[in-house]
Amino acid sequence: MIRTVLARLGLSLTAALGAALFAFLTLRVGPGDPARLVLGAFASDEAVAALRAEMGLDKPYVVQFVHYIADFVTGDWGKSYAMGEPVRSLLADRFPATIELGLCAFVIAVAMALLCGMVGSYARRDWITRLLRTLASFSIGVPQFWFGLILLMVGFECLGLFPGPVGRLGFGVPPPPSVTGLYTVDALLAGDLATFADACRHLLLPAVTLGLLPFGFLLRLFWANLDDVANEPFVLVGRSRGMTRWQVFRRYVVPNAIVPTLTASGLVLGQMLAGSVLVERVFNWPGAGALVTQGILQQDYSVVQTFILLSAVVYIVANLCVDVLVAAIDPRIARKDTAG
Amino acid sequence: MMTARNRYGILAPPLAMFALLVLLTLIGPMAWPHNAYDMDFAAVLAPPSWDHPMGTDANGRDVLARFLDGGRLSLLVGVVVMVGGLVPGALLGILAARLGGVVDAFVMRMSDSIAAFPPILLAMAVAIGLGGGLATAVLGVILSTLPFFARLMRSETRRILAMPFIEAARAMGASPALIVMRHVLPHSASTMLVQSAAVFGYGIATLAGLGFVGLGAPIPTAEWGVMITDGMPYALTGQWWIAVFPGLGILLAVSAANMLADRLSGLLRGDGEEVRP
Repeated sequence: MIRTVLARLGLSLTAALGAALFAFLTLRVGPGDPARLVLGAFASDEAVAALRAEMGLDKPYVVQFVHYIADFVTGDWGKSYAMGEPVRSLLADRFPATIELGLCAFVIAVAMALLCGMVGSYARRDWITRLLRTLASFSIGVPQFWFGLILLMVGFECLGLFPGPVGRLGFGVPPPPSVTGLYTVDALLAGDLATFADACRHLLLPAVTLGLLPFGFLLRLFWANLDDVANEPFVLVGRSRGMTRWQVFRRYVVPNAIVPTLTASGLVLGQMLAGSVLVERVFNWPGAGALVTQGILQQDYSVVQTFILLSAVVYIVANLCVDVLVAAIDPRIARKDTAG
Repeated sequence: MMTARNRYGILAPPLAMFALLVLLTLIGPMAWPHNAYDMDFAAVLAPPSWDHPMGTDANGRDVLARFLDGGRLSLLVGVVVMVGGLVPGALLGILAARLGGVVDAFVMRMSDSIAAFPPILLAMAVAIGLGGGLATAVLGVILSTLPFFARLMRSETRRILAMPFIEAARAMGASPALIVMRHVLPHSASTMLVQSAAVFGYGIATLAGLGFVGLGAPIPTAEWGVMITDGMPYALTGQWWIAVFPGLGILLAVSAANMLADRLSGLLRGDGEEVRP
């Protein structure tokens, strides 16, 4: 067990190091001079040279890379030149909004995928299966940002059921006293139900949009797992002992199919981080993803590059946790790993 | 009993969708009288009509003409990403499986590192680092597909090299290169084909996403993602047509690719298997 964890940890560390090297290379290999990019085309050569020295760009690449990693690990992520603030405080301000959106999207995606997968696998009516299969294909084929726009057109403009793309709360609604940074939770903690309802209304459409792709991915996976397990001999044994189809499904099939699906939800994290960049722009959601698109449009790349490397690190850590958890739950995996 | 012809019949719908898209985007721009870049300020934001079946945008450009042009670009990008990822990715996978040891470890760790980035964010990093624009964006998307191909080809090669007939070929004096050419490639072709179809759709979707945040094709270009960005300010004021049609185009192209990949893999392996990147 410990050997598995250590081996897995080693792999994660090399992957993180490789990802950092890759991010570093995209910064340095390109034709642009980072110092020139900061100061603009009209700055004098002396000013550019001075900034180059300040940024450490005159040192050898190896030294620069070591500095790059040291800065990243210690949280010194540079400064946004368009906004004049450290990247870390900018991102820290924005992350609660992204986390709130992401958590909500994740819960919707997992719950709906489990529900639809069970219905799809258990139902014997052709039209239900076909409908759910179409839904699964749609959710992985549709461009997320476009789907968000359609939801806004229907839910806000046509039906008037949901607020427009104005962010996390309606106009004139003060944010609840900050405890967690998640408006829904904070409003509940403050006992302010009106603000809670408003925050939920603003949260729902972006969360559905962001959750759509993970939903499709998990649904297909869970469905395939359910169908696989349904062909196992123990299902037949259960039936032959007089259990009803539903009893076998509930007691044998679902529990066996659910574990591999839930472990794959770790993989979904990457999709959600990337998706937040596109979805937050559509809904003017004031999260880290919107900060990234803003940075791209203003050619203020320090925020963008930090977010990208950060998302790789988060993804690696999440997968490491999932793998270790799975190995702890299922001893067969640990044995397989050490065997070869 | 199912005949072979019946079995392959399920490929008809996605292939028909592709044929429709290819025909529309290749012949369409020649047959359609409007140009994707001509501005007509007398017909700004005109709703769909016989003259402009998809309406016009804020600059009075015909949305249908831009849709057709954008479709051609998207299909082309899909093919470029597919081939550009498949060839080097497969080569890396074969080398890793065949040589093993340090090469194998290097290729696998490299693909772990690349796969750690959410694909569209990796493409963003590359596009920004190399100066932006369509070519760098496509390069970024290609790079993000390398791990899918390399890992799959590596496991396919290892699977095939372990088969008894490879031992027989070796005993008959076949060189490693010959074994790869004559046995490994043909036996892995179907699996790689399925992956390629999925990557084709992935390439189109990702490029549109990059265009949407301003890192793909530059602004006036008729590209589906850029067109959705163009239409966004008008989507909630009643001019729905500017953003809706290009999105439908992406949905159609990507769904056709995914459906083809699913059905191919179902045919080749007996039942559906997860191939999405």
